[in-house]
Amino acid sequence: MASAARPARSLAAQERRFALALLAPALAVLLLTTTAPLVYLGWTSLMRLDLAMPYLSGFAGLDNYVKMGSDPRFWNSLALTGIYTASTVVLQVVIGLTLALLVLQIPRGQALLRIAAILPIVLAPVVVGLFWRTLVLAPDFGLVDLVTRSLGLGSHNWLGDPQLALISVIAIHTWQWTPFAFLVLLASLATLPPDVYEAARLDRASAWQRFVHITLPLLRPAIVMVVILRMMTALSAFAAIFAATGGGPGSATEILNLYAYRTSFTELNLGYGSSLAVVLLAITLAISFVMFRLRRAR
Amino acid sequence: MPRTLWRRLALAAVAGVGVAVWVFPVLWGLLTSFKTERDVLAYPPVWLFKPTLDNYREVIFGASSIVPNLWSSFVLATATTLLTMLIAVPAAYALGRLRFPAKRMSGFYVLVTQMLPPVGLIIPYYLVLQKLGALDTYGGLTVIYLTFALPFAIWLMVTYFEDIPLEMEEAALLDRAGRLRTLWYVILPQVRGGIAVTTIFVFLNAWNEFMFAVVLGGNRVRPVTVAMFNFISVEQTQWAKVAAGAMLAMLPVIIIGLFAQRHIVKGLTVGAVKGGGRR
Repeated sequence: MASAARPARSLAAQERRFALALLAPALAVLLLTTTAPLVYLGWTSLMRLDLAMPYLSGFAGLDNYVKMGSDPRFWNSLALTGIYTASTVVLQVVIGLTLALLVLQIPRGQALLRIAAILPIVLAPVVVGLFWRTLVLAPDFGLVDLVTRSLGLGSHNWLGDPQLALISVIAIHTWQWTPFAFLVLLASLATLPPDVYEAARLDRASAWQRFVHITLPLLRPAIVMVVILRMMTALSAFAAIFAATGGGPGSATEILNLYAYRTSFTELNLGYGSSLAVVLLAITLAISFVMFRLRRAR
Repeated sequence: MPRTLWRRLALAAVAGVGVAVWVFPVLWGLLTSFKTERDVLAYPPVWLFKPTLDNYREVIFGASSIVPNLWSSFVLATATTLLTMLIAVPAAYALGRLRFPAKRMSGFYVLVTQMLPPVGLIIPYYLVLQKLGALDTYGGLTVIYLTFALPFAIWLMVTYFEDIPLEMEEAALLDRAGRLRTLWYVILPQVRGGIAVTTIFVFLNAWNEFMFAVVLGGNRVRPVTVAMFNFISVEQTQWAKVAAGAMLAMLPVIIIGLFAQRHIVKGLTVGAVKGGGRR
C-alpha cells in the first residue's frame, strides 16, 4: 500500500515540475514585458518629466494627480471616454443582436453575410480611420456626402464640426466592430435548444414574449461576454480616431487614451502622460473585475 | 403564402443592407484605387471609367514606395509570431492540462495582462528603449508586441488543449513515454489546427498594429500601417494613391481573414470564454 502511494506522489511531483518548467518562460516574459514596465509607469507618474524642459525633471509626488483635478481637458476626455465606450458598445450589441435574430430566419445566404462580416474585423484600425476620412466622410466627394447631397440634405463637414466629429468616430468604431457582436451572437443563437421554443409556441407565447423570456436569458452569457470584450476594445481605441480626426477638432474626439498619448508624445510631457495612463489603467482593470463578477454571478 | 413571401423579401433586404454597409466602403476603395485623381473628384461619381494601374505603379515603384514598409511589417509580424508561439504553446499546455499549485492564479495573471491599455505600456517602453538606444529597432518593437500577442496566444491555445481527450496522454504516460515525448509526439499533433489558427491571429494582430510602431519605430523600422498614415499626412489630396496603398497593405490580412473565416469567432472571443477563472 505504501509502495503504491509513493510512485503516485512522485508522479504528481514530476507533473508539477514539468508544468512549472513549461510555464516559467511565459510567466517570466510577461513579468518582464508587462508588469515591470507598469511599475515603472507608476514611478514616472510621480515625476515631473517634460522632454521639452528636461532641466526641470525630478520627483514631484502626487502633483500630476492633483493637477488632473483642475484640468478641464482631463475631465473632457474622461466624459468622452464614457460616451464613446457606452454608445459604441450599446450600438454594437443592439445592431448585432437584431441582425443576428433576423439572419437566423434566412434559410440561405448566411455564409455570404458571415464572410462580409469578417471584412471590417481584419482591417487595421488605422487603415479604417484613413479610409473613412478620405473616401467616406470627406466633404463633397465622400460616400456619405454623396448620399446626403443626393437626398437633398446638403454637404457637411463630418470630421471638422465638433459634434459631427464625435458622432463620426463613434460610427467608424461601430462599423468596424459590430460584425464581431453579430458573429458571436449568431453563433450562440444557433446553439439555443429548439424544444424550449416549441413548448413556448404551444403555450401561445408571442414572438416578443419568446424573445424576452427565453432568448434573452439564454443569451445572457454571450451578451455579457460581448459587452466585456467590446468595452476593452473601446477603452483602448486609438488608431482609428487618431487617423480620422487626431482627437480633434480641438479636443472634440479626444478620449482619455488619446489625451494620454498626445500629452506624452506630442507635448512631450511624459510625467503627466504617465499619470493619465495610470488612471486609464485603473478604470480598465476596475471595469473588467466588475464585469467578470457579473459574469460569474449566474 | 404572399405574407411569407413578403417576409422573405424583407429579411433578404435587411441582410443585403448589412452586407452592403460592411463591404461597400472597401469595394469603393478598391474602385478608387484604379481611378485617376481626376475621376476620384468627379461629381456625380463616375462608375464607368478607364481603369488605370498608375496608382499601384506609384506606390510600388514610385518615390514613396511602400514595399520597404511591407517588408518591415512582414519581419516584425513573423518575429513576433515565432517567439510568441514558442513561448505560448508549452505554457498553454501546462495551464490547460497539468495539475500544479497556483494554476488558477497563473491563468488569471495571464488574463489580466491581456487587458492592459497599450498607452500605459508605451511610455515606459519609450523611456527604456531610448536609454538602451533601441528605439527604431526590430528587437525593441518585437518585445512590446509580445505584450499583446503572448497572453492572447496562451489563452487561445488553452482552449484547444482542453478539447483533446485526457485518455490519450494517460495511455502514452502508462507506456512510460516520458512527459516531453508525450507532449511532442502525442499531444501536439492533436492541436495542429489550433496552432495554425493561433499563428494566423498573432500574425494578423502584429501586422495591424499601429500605436507602438508609430512611437517606437522610425526611419528604419516603419511598418506599413505607419507608412499609410504618413502617406496621407503628406499627400492629403492624392486619394487614389492612398486607396491603392491601403489595398496593398490590407491584401494579406483580407486573404488570411477569408481563409480562416470559420475560426475567427473562436479567436476573437478568447479569454472571456474562460474568463474569471472558472478553473
